[in-house]
Amino acid sequence: MPFDTASDVPDDALLVLYANGDGSAARELAARHLPRVLGYAARMLGGDRAEAEDVAQEAMLRLWRIAPDWRPGEAKVSTWLYRVVTNLCTDRLRGAKRRRAVGLDDAPEVEDSAKGVEAELVENDRMVALNAALDTLPDRQRQAVVLRHIEGFSNPEIAEVMDIGVEAVESLTARGKRALAAALAGRRAELGYEEGS
Amino acid sequence: MNDSDLDDLFMTAQRQSAPVSSDLMARVMADADAFMPQPVGVTPAEAPRVSLWSAILEALGGAGALAGLSTAMLAGVWIGFAQPGAVSTVTDVLWSNDATYETVDVLPAFDDFLTEG
Repeated sequence: MPFDTASDVPDDALLVLYANGDGSAARELAARHLPRVLGYAARMLGGDRAEAEDVAQEAMLRLWRIAPDWRPGEAKVSTWLYRVVTNLCTDRLRGAKRRRAVGLDDAPEVEDSAKGVEAELVENDRMVALNAALDTLPDRQRQAVVLRHIEGFSNPEIAEVMDIGVEAVESLTARGKRALAAALAGRRAELGYEEGS
Repeated sequence: MNDSDLDDLFMTAQRQSAPVSSDLMARVMADADAFMPQPVGVTPAEAPRVSLWSAILEALGGAGALAGLSTAMLAGVWIGFAQPGAVSTVTDVLWSNDATYETVDVLPAFDDFLTEG
């Protein structure tokens, strides 16, 4: 399969191609999902990059292993991956309650390099603050808030990822968002929001 | 911190993507290669080796045909050696000579007309 035409192929089809021995399909799947999965794992694990990489690799490994038995149309690959990552992160958090503060170095790089240095610094500060505030939330609330507001999943999709009901998702996101607002309340001016931006 | 501030923070977070190190990508691709199922293609079955004799047998029409053929050959050899005296002994059995023929006089003789005068 030519690599430049793979971007139009649905995830399901790529997985079937991989199951039939097409290595380039695996590369395309990894290019699509690995960055998102890694970012999600990093947020769930309090910015621990090394651990997030391990989780992301493990999640992708499970995807490769399930590929031959994958039934197209039954579940979305992205939802399935997030579910695996959520469970892996939950296990790791349960095993070692890591709650270390997120340092500036751990903040993911901002993609848009055209911005001014100052704006970039402000954005980095905001991300560090957001990640630190997310880290104060209970695990389930943090998962729900990140999936809803950062990863952009719908409530039914989050329900599938977290294996709970849609109403529980709504409750978790609402409570999580309130807790986040409270956690960041004192830092509004510091983060450059004093002008009502 | 109000809702719009939070939404702004979320939007900034959405624009970010965690950079995937080449080392991680290499590890993931190594896993993909290691766990890639072998393609289940339709491979042609190895053609059985055909010996000269079985090819000849096949050309003649199989074992049944060969049996008939060898019978006919043996019969031919036997007939040649035995030199049957007269073929009529066989033909007489099949078509016996004792058939009687009825003659039908399709044209009556002129004799009767001649005597009438």
